[in-house]
Amino acid sequence: MKKTLALILALVMVLALCACGTAPAPAATAAGGETDQTVTLAESFAYPSLDAHKDYYGWYTSIYGMTETLFKMDDNSVAQPWLAESAESDGSTWTVTLRDGICFSNGKAVTADMVVKNLQRAAKENDRFAYLAGYEMKATGDKTLTITTPEVYPTLKNDLASPELAIMDLDDTTDFDKAPICTGPFVISSFEPEGTVKVVRNEKYWGGDVKLAGATFLYMQEDDPKQMAMQNGEIDGYTSVTAAALETYRKAPDTYKVSVVPATRLQFYALNENRLDAAVRQAINLTVDKNAIAKYLNGTVTAATGPFGTATAYGKVTVPAVDTAKAKSLLEADGYTLNANGIYEKGGKALSLNICYYAARSLDTLATLIQEQLKAIGIDSTLTVEEDPDGTYITTGDFDIALYCMIADKAGDPYYFVNAVLRQSSRWAIAGFHSDACEALINQLQYETDTAKRAELANQIVQLSIDDNAFGYVGLFNKTTVLRAGVTGCSETCPFDFYEIDANTSKTA
Amino acid sequence: MGRTIGKRLLQLIPVLLGLTLLVYALMDLAPGDPAAKRLQAQGVAVSEETLDAAREEMGLNRPFLVRYGDWLLGVLHGDLGTSYRDGLPVAAKLWKGLKNTLVLTLASLALSVAVSVPLGVYTAVRQNRAGDYVIRFLSFVGASMPNFLISVLLMYFFCIRVKIFPVIAKSSVQGLFLPALALAVPLMSRFVRQIRAEVLEELSKPYVAGARARGVKERYVLYKNVLHNTLSAVITIVGLSVGGLLGGSVVVETIFSWRGIGKLAMDSITARDYPVIQGFVLWMAVIFVAINLATDLAYRALDPRVDGLEGGR
Repeated sequence: MKKTLALILALVMVLALCACGTAPAPAATAAGGETDQTVTLAESFAYPSLDAHKDYYGWYTSIYGMTETLFKMDDNSVAQPWLAESAESDGSTWTVTLRDGICFSNGKAVTADMVVKNLQRAAKENDRFAYLAGYEMKATGDKTLTITTPEVYPTLKNDLASPELAIMDLDDTTDFDKAPICTGPFVISSFEPEGTVKVVRNEKYWGGDVKLAGATFLYMQEDDPKQMAMQNGEIDGYTSVTAAALETYRKAPDTYKVSVVPATRLQFYALNENRLDAAVRQAINLTVDKNAIAKYLNGTVTAATGPFGTATAYGKVTVPAVDTAKAKSLLEADGYTLNANGIYEKGGKALSLNICYYAARSLDTLATLIQEQLKAIGIDSTLTVEEDPDGTYITTGDFDIALYCMIADKAGDPYYFVNAVLRQSSRWAIAGFHSDACEALINQLQYETDTAKRAELANQIVQLSIDDNAFGYVGLFNKTTVLRAGVTGCSETCPFDFYEIDANTSKTA
Repeated sequence: MGRTIGKRLLQLIPVLLGLTLLVYALMDLAPGDPAAKRLQAQGVAVSEETLDAAREEMGLNRPFLVRYGDWLLGVLHGDLGTSYRDGLPVAAKLWKGLKNTLVLTLASLALSVAVSVPLGVYTAVRQNRAGDYVIRFLSFVGASMPNFLISVLLMYFFCIRVKIFPVIAKSSVQGLFLPALALAVPLMSRFVRQIRAEVLEELSKPYVAGARARGVKERYVLYKNVLHNTLSAVITIVGLSVGGLLGGSVVVETIFSWRGIGKLAMDSITARDYPVIQGFVLWMAVIFVAINLATDLAYRALDPRVDGLEGGR
């Protein structure tokens, strides 16, 4: 009995000691705004290296707040000065002037010569930037460099904002994969390849005080664990929040702050002009209800008119409103009649389309919704899912409707998408869209240096593709971010995926 | 015995050659472009010229047999090549994934055996009683539920409701428990039923009746005689499960962010990372043969009357 009592008392004492603790001290704040707070964020990707020049690793070193580029895309998709203060072009030669006082985390000043070396290294390390090797780049002073291109390159300034063109200290970095020396407000503290990344404040940050003491980035690919970790208090935020999770977070606005901004990843479909005549294509585009689709996807996409956000100067196109009655009359005028199954047919053959898609980026949901909408007006369809669209239907052209998702605006300029999708030499030409007028406009856009004129040309080009019913631009993915209350400044209002924490990111206890 | 083991290992060579050639051929025939997969990973389109240059750099334009021959030559020199995705050595990537999966496999097997052996014996002894029905029903449910559902339910219950474990699995006992349990639940469900059947068969044998008639204690009969004779069946099902577990459970590894070899293999297949896929197939084939050999040796150790290496029992 005594032994039992002694055991119970010992247990109570141990529990009491465990329960003891001091109340958490309020976040210490230095005079300049620096705190001792850290944030923990979940990321859907994790790479094996921190070498910003390789592959897409620069997207994540930028997200981690480690690397910076000469220019930065702002919330309105305009390239703003960052490490550079200006870039002027007189045709084929760009003169870039660096900002005063910029330095790496080891205190060493960033020079024009080092910038040139970085760009040359990126050209060598990254296939997507190999074209830079053909440019003549030289430092003309400590803070100025020139880049001479073989032909007029109007969007160089925007492309210098690509996170893969981050500026690193190439002389003093000994391990680019694990500990690159960069200019950002944070430096690497520990790095687990394809795993957890920890950063701490760069005490020598050129841009002033860094509010956060550090951050931890956890690799979590699945949505449900991210949501559970958020609800459990294990993380302070993440992006690409699902529709279901958005609903949950919105019910507790005191605990979670949700941010939804239209971003640049586009869901669209190509209509195969080699198989579908003009009337059928027009009927399809008059039937697909993008607003209904966006509503179904519950906040994760914004209905699109064109490939670019309507807030941009080059996103000003018009599409006809959904009009199923007109769609039906177009088909009937084209010789289609409704059969006993309620499906249009011509010459005894039912109008049945092959909708090809791949199961990512909600395209599976999109395919089903489009199928339903078409069926409602009498167009039958079958769904074909492929694991790799680039190796199958995009290459073979074996589709009637091909769904796809890609970043349409990667650097605040329309040329990239127009060149990749609407040019006659692009692989999307397999869908049969050929327009000499469009091609001429694209050629003009390629060399046009005036920003307003570029937007006007882009609008004309995209409008041609809409008027020809060659494509249907369905939705632009929203950048959906959830942050714990008190956490701010995680680039939640910026449409680009490659920014997250910076010197102004903060967390109040 | 040494000669037989040697023969088994020699048989491995044509198996590996045939398997790797078949897999390489299938990958070559399957649609998909490793260069496009790598360069367009974040949804950014690249020009055909850039893709062509990447294909040239990756050696993808060479004929299939030349590529396979080069790979084979590399393997004979102990070099499994480098990953198309990140340029890291394949062997290092596979080893890292395998280590993590090995930990998970051992943990889930230990948990499965520790739970299913006593439960299997219990249900056999208490045949057709309430306990037997309940456990058999639960094993039926456990065997029917898909891994992803088990994983999410465990996470929800233990991390959100009861808050014993963190959602984010770390390399610690606490971080390991839930993914191991997620893998163990379907295993336990199968093991319990298998062990129950084996124990029932043993209990019906004359030596058990004889032992009971001689007044030997029931516990002794069960755990010294019956269970010992059932062990070979336990080893069989454990052996069969080890191979599958070492192949990695992609679903569990993805949900718990456990960077094992299953996830590595799946990501490599999606990315058309041929060198990693080939390396994975090679390693898994060797591991499967080694496990089968170990299982057969274990039979022989348990019961010298059985010549396990000749496959007899």
